Order: sequence, then C-alpha cells, then structure tokens
Amino acid sequence: MQSNPLWYKDAVIYELHVRAFYDSDGDGAGEFKGLTQKLDYLKDLGVSAVWLLPFYPSPWRDDGYDISDYTSVHSAYGTLDDFKTFLDEAHRRDIRVITELVLNHTSDQHPWFQQARGSRDNPKRDWYVWSETPDRYKDARIIFTDTEQSNWAWDISSKSYYWHRFFSHQPDLNYDNPAVREEMWNVMRFWLEMGVDGLRLDAVPYLVERDGTSCENLPETHDVLKFLRHRLDENFPDKMFLAEANQWPHDVRAYFGSADECHMAFHFPLMPRMFMAIKLEDRKPVVDALDRTPAIPAPCQWGIFLRNHDELTLEMVTMDERDYMYDEFAKDARAKLNLGIRRRLAPLMESDRRRIELLNGLLMSLPGTPIIYYGDEIGMGDNIYLGDRNGVRTPMQWNGGWNAGFSAADPERLYSALISNPLYGYQIVNVESQKRSEHSLLSWMKQLIRVRKSTRVFSRGTMEMLHPLNHRVLAYVREFEGEKILVVSNLSSQAQAAELDLRRWKGTVPIEMFGGNPFPRIGDLLYLLTLGPYHFYWFRLRQL
Amino acid sequence: MAETAQLSDEFIRQLSAVGEVDVLVGIPTFNNKDTIERVVRAVQIGLTKYFHRDRCVLINPDGGSTDGTPEIFKNASVSDFEIMLTSNPLRTFHRVSAPYHGIPGKETALRTLFVAADLLRAKACAILSPTSLSVTPEWVESLVRPAYRENFDFVAPLYQRQKFDGLLVKGLLSPVVRAAYGARIREPVAGDFGLSGKLARHFLDKNIWDQDMTTFGLEIWMTTTAIVDGFKISESFLGPRIQPAPQFGQDLPGTIRQVVGALFKCLEMHESYWLAHSGSEALPTFGFQYDVALEPLKLSTKTILDNFRSNIDQLVPVLESILTPATLVDIRKMIDLPDKQFRCADELWVKTIYEFAAAYHHSAINRDHLLQALTPLYRARVSSFILENAKAPAAKLEQKFEDLGQEFERQKPYLIDRWTAKAGGDR
Amino acid sequence: MKDVVLRSLHETFGKFGDMLLQFLPHLLVMLIIFVVGWFVAIILKFVTRRIFAFVRVSKLSKDAGISQLLSKADLPPASELFSSLVFWVVWFGFLLIGVDALGVPELQLEVGKFFLFLPQIFVALLVLFGGLLAANFFSRAALLAAVNANLPSARVVSGFVRFIIILLAVAMALEQIALARSTVLITFAIAFGAIMLALAIAFGSGGRDAAHRMLDRMFPPPEPKKPEERTKQEEISPL
Repeated sequence: MQSNPLWYKDAVIYELHVRAFYDSDGDGAGEFKGLTQKLDYLKDLGVSAVWLLPFYPSPWRDDGYDISDYTSVHSAYGTLDDFKTFLDEAHRRDIRVITELVLNHTSDQHPWFQQARGSRDNPKRDWYVWSETPDRYKDARIIFTDTEQSNWAWDISSKSYYWHRFFSHQPDLNYDNPAVREEMWNVMRFWLEMGVDGLRLDAVPYLVERDGTSCENLPETHDVLKFLRHRLDENFPDKMFLAEANQWPHDVRAYFGSADECHMAFHFPLMPRMFMAIKLEDRKPVVDALDRTPAIPAPCQWGIFLRNHDELTLEMVTMDERDYMYDEFAKDARAKLNLGIRRRLAPLMESDRRRIELLNGLLMSLPGTPIIYYGDEIGMGDNIYLGDRNGVRTPMQWNGGWNAGFSAADPERLYSALISNPLYGYQIVNVESQKRSEHSLLSWMKQLIRVRKSTRVFSRGTMEMLHPLNHRVLAYVREFEGEKILVVSNLSSQAQAAELDLRRWKGTVPIEMFGGNPFPRIGDLLYLLTLGPYHFYWFRLRQL
Repeated sequence: MAETAQLSDEFIRQLSAVGEVDVLVGIPTFNNKDTIERVVRAVQIGLTKYFHRDRCVLINPDGGSTDGTPEIFKNASVSDFEIMLTSNPLRTFHRVSAPYHGIPGKETALRTLFVAADLLRAKACAILSPTSLSVTPEWVESLVRPAYRENFDFVAPLYQRQKFDGLLVKGLLSPVVRAAYGARIREPVAGDFGLSGKLARHFLDKNIWDQDMTTFGLEIWMTTTAIVDGFKISESFLGPRIQPAPQFGQDLPGTIRQVVGALFKCLEMHESYWLAHSGSEALPTFGFQYDVALEPLKLSTKTILDNFRSNIDQLVPVLESILTPATLVDIRKMIDLPDKQFRCADELWVKTIYEFAAAYHHSAINRDHLLQALTPLYRARVSSFILENAKAPAAKLEQKFEDLGQEFERQKPYLIDRWTAKAGGDR
Repeated sequence: MKDVVLRSLHETFGKFGDMLLQFLPHLLVMLIIFVVGWFVAIILKFVTRRIFAFVRVSKLSKDAGISQLLSKADLPPASELFSSLVFWVVWFGFLLIGVDALGVPELQLEVGKFFLFLPQIFVALLVLFGGLLAANFFSRAALLAAVNANLPSARVVSGFVRFIIILLAVAMALEQIALARSTVLITFAIAFGAIMLALAIAFGSGGRDAAHRMLDRMFPPPEPKKPEERTKQEEISPL
C-alpha cells in the first residue's frame, strides 16, 4: 500500500461484522475466509477502508466486545493466518483495515481477570479496579441502563467489588497501572506490525476513574492516550487511532489533543440531528450541531456516520429532541434500547429511497470521513424482535436464494435469522438483484462514492454554511486548495425554491457533478435553485 | 379566494421561505415602540415552550410606524431566556415583518394576517395586541391550543379585569351579543384572540374588506360572523389585562361611536339570524381561572352626575327622535335623584339600548348623532353602577353582570318588535 | 243727429263686436289652457307626491326640521305641501300661458319675465331647504359634541350654530332671487361681524375664566399628581 499518513481523511470506511458478512465454510456464520472472498465486492463498491467489529476470542456475551484474548482470532472466524491472508488481500486491493481495540475492559473470562480475582496478591490484581465497597465513584452514570443497576459487581472469589462501566461481565482495566498501559501497547503493536492500518479505540472516555467526577473524559484518560499515541508515532507513523467517545463536541475535541491523541473521532451529536432535520424538514438541527462543532487540529478528522452496529444513540441530544426522535422513529416501543433506537437506515426512512439517498448525500458531503454500515448500501432491513442490538447485525443479503447467499448451511444453523419479510426480505433486497440494475440503490451508492472520491474537497476542505431564507434547504460550500463545491439539499418532502447568496463566487459556473451539466453562471443577483422533494445538488464551481 | 394584490413582493418572498406552518401568531402594530418588544419576547418564549415541535411563524403587519417599531420587532431576542427554557427549539423560528401601505388600521393588518394564514395553510392562528403590558408566554398557548388541538374555530379571551374596567363591554356589548346571538362571549371586542385557519380563510372570502369597518368594528364583526356562520366558539382564560394609560379615556364619545356603531351595524347584517334566535349558551372555557388582586380604582362620579343632569335636558330634542316617550320620561326622572341614590336600573338601561338599536336601524336621525347621544346615558349608567357596587366583591359583580345579561335576553322580544316596526312608526 | 249717434254706436259696438269676436277665440284658448293646465297640474301633483314618497322627502324634511316647523304652524306635512306647491306653480304657469295666449304684448312681456324668474325661485327654495337641513344637522352635531365634552350651556352653542347657518341660508336665498341684493349682503356682513365681535369680547373678558379652564384642559401643565388624587371616571377604560 502507498504510504499516506493522512489516508484516513480521504477514506470511505465500511463497517462490517465478520460473522455477518459471508460464511464460506457452511457453519452458519461468517469468517475471514469468507470475508476475503468478498473483498472484490467491497472494491467494486468503492470503499477504501474496512472497519471490523471485534473478532477476538470471547465468550460472546457482548457480541465480541468482551475479549478474552487480545492477540488471537476467535476460532469461529478462523485463524490468525486467515486474518493475515485477508489483510494482504485487502491491501492488494488498496483497501485498508481498521480493527477494534477494546481498551477499557476485558471479558471476565480473560486470563488476566481470572488471575486477578484468584487472589489479592496476584500480580495481575492491580490490573483491574477493585473496591471493598460499592460507594466509590458515585457520580459515574450507568451506560447500559436496560440491564445494569450499578457500575460495581461483587466478585465472590475475591470478596470484593470490581468496576465495570458496561456489562458486569466486562471488568474495567486499571489504567493507573503502568503495566496495563505497556501491555495494551504490546497488543497494539502486535496487530500494527501484522499490517493493520487503524485501531478503533472502543469506550475510550471511561479509561480512568476518580472520585468526585463523572469518571468520563478525565485528564488522566487523555494522558493514557497521549502515551499510546506517542508510541504509535514513533513506530507506525501512518497508522491511525479512531476514538469512540460518545460525548458532546467540546468533550470529544479533547480526544484529538493537540494532534497528539487520536487521529479521528466519531461525530456523535451530528448523527441523530441529520435524522431530525429530515423529519422536521428544517435544517436547524444540523446547522446547530455544526455550529457547536469545535475546530480540530489540521491532521485530525471527524468520522461521520448514519448508522452503526449499536442503537442509534440519543445520548447527545436534549430531552425534547429525544422524545421527538422516539415519537417519530420508534413508534414501536420494541425499537427503543438503552437511550437509543435499534433500527437500520432503511426502516428508519420507511424504505423511502429518496430519503435514503438524501442522507447518504449528506454523509458524503459534510466535513469528515464517511462510514457506511454494512447492508445499508442495499437498504437492508432489521429485526427488532432479536435481543439487544442483534436486530441490526443480521446476515448480509447477497442474493435471493438459499440463506440469501450468505451461507450454505441449514437455515436453522445460521447464527441469526435472516430478514425475510416482504418489504426488506432477502428475496427482494440483495446484492445480486441490485447489481443487475443501473438504477438500484447499490448502483447509486457506487456512483455517489465515485463522485465523492473524485475530489479531495469533501474529505479535506473547509465548510462555509449558507443561510437561504428557506429553512428547508441546507446549503454549504466546501473548499480546498482553490477548488469549490456547492452542496444544496432539500430536506423537505415537497418541492422547494431557494435563493442562495453566492455573490462571493460570482462569475463561476456551477457544474452539476452527477450529470456534468453546467448551470447558469453566478451573477450579481441571488442564485435561484429549485429542488424536487428530498433532492440534492453537488455543484463544482468552475471559473470558465 | 382573496385578492393578494396588496401584498408586497418582499412579504411574499418571506412567506415562501417560511412554507407551510401549523401555528401563526400575528401582532399588528403602529407606533408601539414602548411595548412591542415585551410582546414579541412573550410570543417567542410561548411558542418555544408550548409548540416546540410545531412549525410556527410570527408575523408583524405594520402600518408605517415612524418610531422604529419594526426594527424592535426584528431584533427582540430571548437569548437571556434560553438558559431558563427547558425546551431547545427543534425548529427554525420564523419572524416575518410585513409593512403595509395605506391608512394604518386593523383591517389591513388583519387582512394581511389572514392572507398569510391562507397562503401558509396555517392550522391555527393567534392575534395579539401590541400594547398588552400583562402578556405572558402562556397567552400564546391559551389562544392557540383550543383551535390547534381541540377543533375550535374562534377563541375569545377571558381577562381578569379590575372591578370597573371595561364596563362598555360588560354592560353593553357582551350582553347584547349574548341576547341577540345566543352566545355568552364575555369579551367580544378583544385585541387578543385565536382562530383556526379555516375561519381565517372564511373571513377572507367575505365582502367586508372594502367597507370601512374601523378598528373595533372588525373585531365585533368577526365575533358575530363566527357565531352566525356556525363556527365553534370557545373562551380561554388569559389572566390580568393591563394596558398602557387608556388612549380612549379622553375620547369616550369616539369609542362609543365606533364600537356601538359597529355592534348595531352587525345587528343589521345578521338580522335574519338573531331575529329567529332565542336563548343563549355558555361557551366552553379553557384555562385555569384565578383571581388576582388588582389595584383598586378610586373613582369620582360627582362631576359626571352633575353633567348628566344638565346634559339630558339639553339633549331632549335629540332623544325625542330616538327613544319612546315613556323611556325618555324615565330617564328624565333620574335627574331628580340625589347623588347617593342615583340609579339607572337594568330594565331601563336595556330598554334604552334596544330603542337606540332600533332607531339606528330605522335611521331615525343621522346615525353618527344617534351614537353620540348615547354617551351621556352611558356615563350615567356607569356612575350608577359604580355607586351601587363600590364596595361589592368581585363575585357579586359577576352575578350582577349575569343578571344584566338575562335582562337583555328577557327584553329581546321588545327589541324585535321595535326593530321590525315600520319606519316612522309611533314614537 | 240721431242717425249720427246711432251710426256711431253701431260703429263702436260693431268694432267692439269685431274686437270681441277677434278676442273670443283667444279667450277660449285661454280657458282651454286653464282647464288643461288644471288637469296637468293635478296629475303632476299626484306624480310629485308619489316621487316624494319614493325619495322619502318626509324623512328628509323631518331631518331638516321642517316637519316640526310646519306642524307648529298648522300646515300640512312637507310632501303634501310640496306637491301642492307643484300644483299651484304648474297651474299658475298654465294660467300665465293662457294669459299669454290672449296676445297682449305688455302682458306677454311680464309673463316672459315671470318664467325667467321661476328658476331663480326654485334655486332659492332649494338653497333655503338645504340650509335648513344643514342647520339642523350641524346644530345637533354641535349640541352632542358640546354635551359630550361637558361644556356648559351646550344648547346655547347649538342654537347659535343653527342661527348662523339659517342666517347664511336666508341671505343666500335672497341673493339668489336678487331681492335687495346689496341690502341683504351688507346686513348679513354686519350681523355676522357683530356676532363674532360680541363672541370675542364675551370670551375674552367675561368668559376669561372659562377660557382659562378650557385651555388648561386642552394643554394640561405638567404638574406632579398628588397621591390622593382621585381617578376620574374617564380614565377607566371602557373596553
């Protein structure tokens, strides 16, 4: 792969679960061998990086986020060699690989914890956070409100409490212990040396605890990150850290440090507001979110996304906004989980192709690196009757045949039921059918990604928000190295007209980027554009 | 469909940008720089607090203010309130300024608002007076909710008034509307009211807009037309009503001429309805009514009574053309009453008003003069009422007004007789 | 001599008879015109009464205060009076036409003058009627305004307004029929001027205090309100 320290800025990332992607050995669940076989599909789609959900050995009580061995591959997914092969094949196709590193906690089945709980004198004891009473760190909130009542769990063996911000079977590591830091660096180095290009640092705000605080975003946590980043820069200058910090923008900002912590971080507050804006038919939520987004160091980048493997989180919104989102998007109470909505993009958009396209258009044009969740490129549906967040982690739908082409196993053996209803079922929604049509969502997504990658304005450019009088129209200009792109989106279900003040770019000719057609030159008057329902324009502003 | 030729391009442009709305609030202004900011802030907070999920717009039709009112309207901000608000507005808040040309007046302002409501397909509207010093954000909710969520078409306000405030309304306008139209609206001429989009469009289709209805005329006309055309009416409690020092205190004759004239004109317009209608019904009321200790007024009636005594004699030639001889005799008897026993009984008052109404209808004398002749009688009635009830508690006063309303209803056949008698019939 | 007398008488009576014979057709015509005129006048009176009823003249005259004047003078009501007037004017007109038909030149001249004079009379009557209407209207307006402004002696003001307007109307009517034009004009000017002067003197010296109070009310001096000052009833809002 070509060396490019800022590759993550120009990337289009595809998030997938190894287990859900492709089963090549007929055991009912996907694995690396299968994934490797589908790399051509990803190449064809146009994505340039793949983010894999955890594939490490694990008791699977939190879908792999409870890790019991950091430097191996779960046998269900194959072997370390299978992974290496996958890595090489991906790189051969110019696809980089981002894996998960669950820094904050391990499974309670991890040997470290087994040792730590075995005896109070064990050297690993101090690798976790213990207490005699559950009264410490009272101000820390509970994250998995649906299942946990406390952040402390009682360990029968060592007769003391251990700290866990997530499930009780996921004890938190103690980052005040330098040995922990060193060991985690060793884990990182293991994968990076193998060729992994980036690490998503899961649950990074919760690394360190202190009494009298919320135990989130503490300075000590940032020190840990600086330590790890420093090692990274010394040894692997073109690898990347991606922080998962579900916080308000000014708190997330801290995870970039002065370009000495993480390279990327997810923009959590923006995501629900894109959905809100479409439902309200008003650009205000998006504009507000972007207004409140702080500037970040030049080498850093936001990661923007529409959906992911978790519920659509509503932690970073006000109570009224949350109520609104629930009322509009989770009319079925089963769709609610923790503080979010566990649905995929297509069902949230009520299978409306235009809205799905509009949201993807925003995803690809707003500042940040876009992350597509597997299956959303064909408009996959979900299953809210599956437990936890498994409803959005069903098998990838490759064709309308046996097991949706996902696996040759007996359907009863599949790790999860397929989506099979008449609206989103694999017989209707699958890759094969959509490949055969130039007008399918898949084909459209390919074109979208292609146009996005045709310029670096989207990935690296500045953004200037425009404020047309019509609040249903969201318009902004991206600019990078003299190149300018005007993005205009109609957030409403009805045709709209908008007059844009483009006089700063007077004299340029807008060329519509999908069709290549020139529009009238920008003059002294306000530029009038009309847009169909949910329609958007990308214009390259050319000096002609 | 209403003509929109008088809307300026700029206004239409702003409306297009707003698009379809659920709630429209209008504040017509003309030189209200002292009070407009307060009202705008109350409206914005009210909309944010109670309608934060709904598409709202605040429109200000301004009749060419020269004191900077439109600028104050545009710039009034609630940023100091935002910390206190529990709701963060989900939507863009629209504020539209709509200067109109021509004679500044309620008609053009209201018509502008109704046209906007029509264009924006507003489901519910509220119109607020720019001079209410006691307006609160809750007023918006109280006036909009019945129309927006409860399917009412017209929402009349209910104020907590000082004892003797608004006696023209309570002593004449309201009971006449009650007796004639059968609806017990306590504030038929208020500057603050709510209405459904449907009713706004209905008003637009009427031919009233080219006639000179004057400020109060339009309000009475709206109230009575809504009743006559079968729309659902309700009342909504707003709270205390405090206005700046009354502008019309010095021009009572002018006020009576306008308001009572409008009332009588409406009676003419809606003749076929109220002649056939009898009885009255209380209206559904929204809001929690509470009592507020308002500053009591100290009143002087001596001068009024002295003037009354001298004035009535002088007015006899005029009154002869309006009232029946019997009524005139009764009124003249009041002259001989000493101050402390001065009374204008309900029966006499109602009879007088009805005779005035009929005389108006038959154009016994020039209508303008007829209405002016009512002023000294109104003053006498007010004096009588104040003298009689100076120490009465609010509840007792409410009963008095209810009794008065019933008296108006009881004498309605008399009104009908006089109204339908041939012109020039016996005096 | 007897023959001369007889012949003279015969000639004279003969001439007289001829004159009479010549005159009789004219007389007959005159009489026919009288009779026809009478019928026309009756018809017109009837038509006029109908028109007046249609135009509601009775109401107008009531407004003008004429009905009251007429009833006080034991005269028939206005429309009756007007239609009678129309009858008499029309018949008188026919009488004159009949007289004119006699063919006596001096009479014809006078008849002509009369017919020329007729329009002036109508206009004068209209002016008078309009004046009475206006007087009634404005005097009542003044009365009401004065009463509502609590001015003392409102009736005086009202009467004064009526007087002035009637005076003006009478003067205009008289001028219209060119009756003692200069006399009327000068008399009116003097009367009007005298009234104004009297008013000024009365107001300025005798009514000084009243004037003072009125001006104070119109342009109140800025003085601080005493706390116990009572609210005047006018300051309660009626609405």
